[in-house]
Amino acid sequence: MKIRHTLLILTAILGIALLVAVSVQIREEILGYEATERMVASNAVREQLLLGTDALANERSLTFVLLIEDDVENGRLETLGEARRRVDGFLQAAENELAAARSALSNTDESLASLSRARRDIVALRDQVDEYLKPDQPRPRGEFAPRWFRQSSMVIEELQSSRLTLLQRERPLQPTLRAEANLRTFGGILSESIARNQALLARALRNPDAASSLDLEAIGRNAGRAGLAWELIEGQRASPLTEPVRAAIAASHEDYDSTLAPLQQSLLTALLSRVRPGLDSGQWYEVAGRSLQYVASMQKELLRSSREQLQAELRRAQRSVLQWSGLLLLGVGAVAGSILVVRRRIVQPLESLSQAMLKLADDDLTIPLPRVNRADEIGEMNDALRVFKANAIQRERAQNEKQVLHARLRDAYRQLQKDLEAAAVIQGAMLPPPARIGDVQFQGLYRPSSHIAGDTYNILRRTDGGIGFFQVDVAGHGAAAALVSVACHHALSQAILTRNQGTRLDEIAAQINDDWPDDLPYFTMILGEIDPRSRRARLVQAGHPSPLVIRSDGTVEPIGEGGLPVGIIRAATYETLDFAFEPGDRILIYSDGLIEAENPQGEQFSEARLRKLVGDHASADAPALLGMLDDVLRNWRSSETLDDDLSVLALERLPERIEADAVH
Amino acid sequence: MLSTDLRNNVLVVRVAEKRIDAGKAPAFKDEMARCIDAGQSQIVLDLSSVEFMDSSGLGALVSCLKRLGPRGSLAVAGAGGAVGRLFALTRMDRVFALHPDVETAVERLSV
Repeated sequence: MKIRHTLLILTAILGIALLVAVSVQIREEILGYEATERMVASNAVREQLLLGTDALANERSLTFVLLIEDDVENGRLETLGEARRRVDGFLQAAENELAAARSALSNTDESLASLSRARRDIVALRDQVDEYLKPDQPRPRGEFAPRWFRQSSMVIEELQSSRLTLLQRERPLQPTLRAEANLRTFGGILSESIARNQALLARALRNPDAASSLDLEAIGRNAGRAGLAWELIEGQRASPLTEPVRAAIAASHEDYDSTLAPLQQSLLTALLSRVRPGLDSGQWYEVAGRSLQYVASMQKELLRSSREQLQAELRRAQRSVLQWSGLLLLGVGAVAGSILVVRRRIVQPLESLSQAMLKLADDDLTIPLPRVNRADEIGEMNDALRVFKANAIQRERAQNEKQVLHARLRDAYRQLQKDLEAAAVIQGAMLPPPARIGDVQFQGLYRPSSHIAGDTYNILRRTDGGIGFFQVDVAGHGAAAALVSVACHHALSQAILTRNQGTRLDEIAAQINDDWPDDLPYFTMILGEIDPRSRRARLVQAGHPSPLVIRSDGTVEPIGEGGLPVGIIRAATYETLDFAFEPGDRILIYSDGLIEAENPQGEQFSEARLRKLVGDHASADAPALLGMLDDVLRNWRSSETLDDDLSVLALERLPERIEADAVH
Repeated sequence: MLSTDLRNNVLVVRVAEKRIDAGKAPAFKDEMARCIDAGQSQIVLDLSSVEFMDSSGLGALVSCLKRLGPRGSLAVAGAGGAVGRLFALTRMDRVFALHPDVETAVERLSV
């Protein structure tokens, strides 16, 4: 998994966790809001129902009193109409609220059905009442009053039970709201008890003698229920109630305890004991009406308080939802921002760095490095990468330069090699090929350690018929020694050719030694001559190994014991050695490369080995001797190469029976 | 390559090599030149460890002698075997004072 994925996934997980937590909280708040909304809707319906119930109780009392009156004043009919409109208004409002809360509340259909049934019942009852209230109505109105009272009370009970059902469904949990709902219920019981007694006592007071014991009993029961309602209301005093609510309760209770309850008790006592009551029907009706108004204003206060609290709660829930939603938006923004920052500040720079690294590792030095101007780790990595790239470019440049240099060296070497090969051809051409001069046959063996050698030799016929020869070995080997050997070759050849009669070989050597420049390497040589008239030869040995003379009888004699090399010591003197060189004799002149050649074990071939070898092959002629020497040496070396230049010159005075040939 | 030892004002230079050939000669020549340039005029060259010397080695030896000039002397001690034969062949025994060992050479030079 790449860092990009790790970082982005981590950030996303953190973000999602945060968003889920906030979303859960928002869901809670929305649920709370919806619950409050339902509560508000339920409360609004219940408020209208409560007001409607109160109004209906009022209509019931008004209608009841009208039904038991002997004649009906027009003004009271108008009051009844007014009361009916109020009932209709409240019930219509309740129905509207219910319809509006259909989405929020459950089972609204059931409540709506119950409400419209109640309204239908009321309308039917009213029609009957209106029939009885008609002026030309033959039936006595008083007959219908108890039925009206009973049936309208049933409607009131149905409305109350509908209200309580609603309350049951949306029971408030908040203590004040719950207390207020309870108080309204108890207030409803109280109001209903008072309203019933308003009507019943009014009828009883109208005709005290005819007051039925059943009615009186009902009045007593209602008074008891009212007292009980007050006890229940007082029981709620410990609940957290608002001041206006407490004041309204206190006012209503004060009125009930000081005015209505004692009056009601005394009237009932008077009626029971058939004593004339101190109050007539109308007066009582008014007193009870006032009490009912106290109760109604208490109910209104309760309703207002609940409404306000619910509205406040709704606003709070709304605010809370908004706050959490804002937090959610902030969270989303923070997560998106984090991902953006991680991408821009970490992931993208890392990716471009890693790509650049891979390219660099692939030797692609043209890759542009990302532009980063940062002091953090990515900036450091980028700086390091810049250094790597600079180093790589430098290395590549150095490599290229090295290659160019190498190519130049190769060219130079090739040129040198070519020069050396050309020089070798020239040097080889300077050496005399195998030939015969007079009765002397000669052959050379020449093997440079590299292309060109510090060894050289020559054999020349002098104008006086003598044969001059030399072999030179310049100290060191390679190009310098080769150049010096060419100079020697020339100087000695000239010296042999231009030699004045009588100049001795040692004088020539001394002359060359004296003329030899100090800054040139010295050389060793054998400079010799073969006398054409006698059977003798002479030579000068200048630091060169002693030549071997192989007599015709097979004996091998070294000539000379040494001598100073040429070019070492100024004013050196040399010695001319004179020795017999009979027909059939051979002389082998060699450079130290022959006897100092080492085998792989580091052992030198040595003069002793050479002398034995030559002695063993004493009968061989010059070419055969040289061929044999070459073979033996290659075997000794176990290699085709040599450490030092090697040259061997073999001269043979041919036996007399062979005709002297004047070639060369 | 060389180790030096001063005895009786004679610098004994010991050659700790088995060969003085074309490969070693330049270094040998340089080190000897430093000894000579340091002011030593009486030098004994101990060649007892040297088993082989070629013409380049001999050339280096002669150049040392030339560098030393007439004011000093360069004696050779312990030249035997192939080296001794080279000295004989090239008549270097006439140019260098040859001694069988370092002690003799030092004795002769310090007289």
